[in-house]
Amino acid sequence: MTVIILILLVGLSVYTLSSGDLLHGTIALSAFSLLSAILFYLLLAPDVAITEAAVGAGVSTVVFVWAIRATERKDAK
Amino acid sequence: MKGRKYSFSFVLQVVLSLSAVLAVLLPVFLAGNLWPTAARDYLERNGVKESGAKNLVSAIYLGYRAFDTLGETIVLLVAVSGTITIIAHSGISLAKGFAGAGLAKPGSKSQLIARRTELIDVVTGKLGPIVLIFGLYVMLFGHLSPGGGFQGGVVVASGIVFISLGSKTDRSTQLQKAGVLARLEAAGFLFLVFAALAGILGGHGFFGNPFAGTGASAGTYIVALNAIIGLKVGAGIGFMCVAMLGRVD
Repeated sequence: MTVIILILLVGLSVYTLSSGDLLHGTIALSAFSLLSAILFYLLLAPDVAITEAAVGAGVSTVVFVWAIRATERKDAK
Repeated sequence: MKGRKYSFSFVLQVVLSLSAVLAVLLPVFLAGNLWPTAARDYLERNGVKESGAKNLVSAIYLGYRAFDTLGETIVLLVAVSGTITIIAHSGISLAKGFAGAGLAKPGSKSQLIARRTELIDVVTGKLGPIVLIFGLYVMLFGHLSPGGGFQGGVVVASGIVFISLGSKTDRSTQLQKAGVLARLEAAGFLFLVFAALAGILGGHGFFGNPFAGTGASAGTYIVALNAIIGLKVGAGIGFMCVAMLGRVD
């Protein structure tokens, strides 16, 4: 289970870095945070899991989406 | 990236960061005795009894190392102040937030309603209060179950964002007003300083437990600190997000 999540995490982060559409990258980053929250819970660190889920998947996504709305959605080629 | 020669500075950056990672990790793997165990063993034996918190993480960061938490809240205060300053001085380009996409004038109510779907209404508006309740639970039961002031505060901030996104009318609760949140955050920090100083009066030192020796349950001070920190963090991050949504008046 841990190995599956770790592989998914690497895949999601590669997608986040390589995606030209910044909004897709932000959503992938949010999914990354959610998966790492599950990973922290499996590794018996529920405190960190709550923080990661709330900060990573919740608040930082709002901040990123706001930044995209205030600037441009597409990556500069 | 394909077919392009990597520049020298890019290779240098990669090599430097890899060697920095190695310099940190190699001593850990090479050392025979991995970590010092004295503090861990002490906490395992005495932590719950001395601080009154069943959750040892809470016991450490509020019972033994509350000074770190004070620094953490100061960092958050500075971060929120800086964000608000940037938003306020950037003019219309940043403060338009999610509300105006360049079509209607920012913050105009009809534009707000036209851009939302039923899904956003149902999910965020109905889920917001539940998230708020969960955040309060995480905050107030931080000494017994996983969580604590900071975690609960961030969950409360998510709830504020949900309510703020999901409300059809402009105002349905005071929690969406940026001014109220800013005052809550300032009051939270004031309470935290008072709570830190309270121990000095009884001779327990800075961030000492002022209830020690009064017969109150040992966890009382940790619950109070968790509530104050949660109030401060929730109001601060909620204020930042509400300001980014373009609702600063």
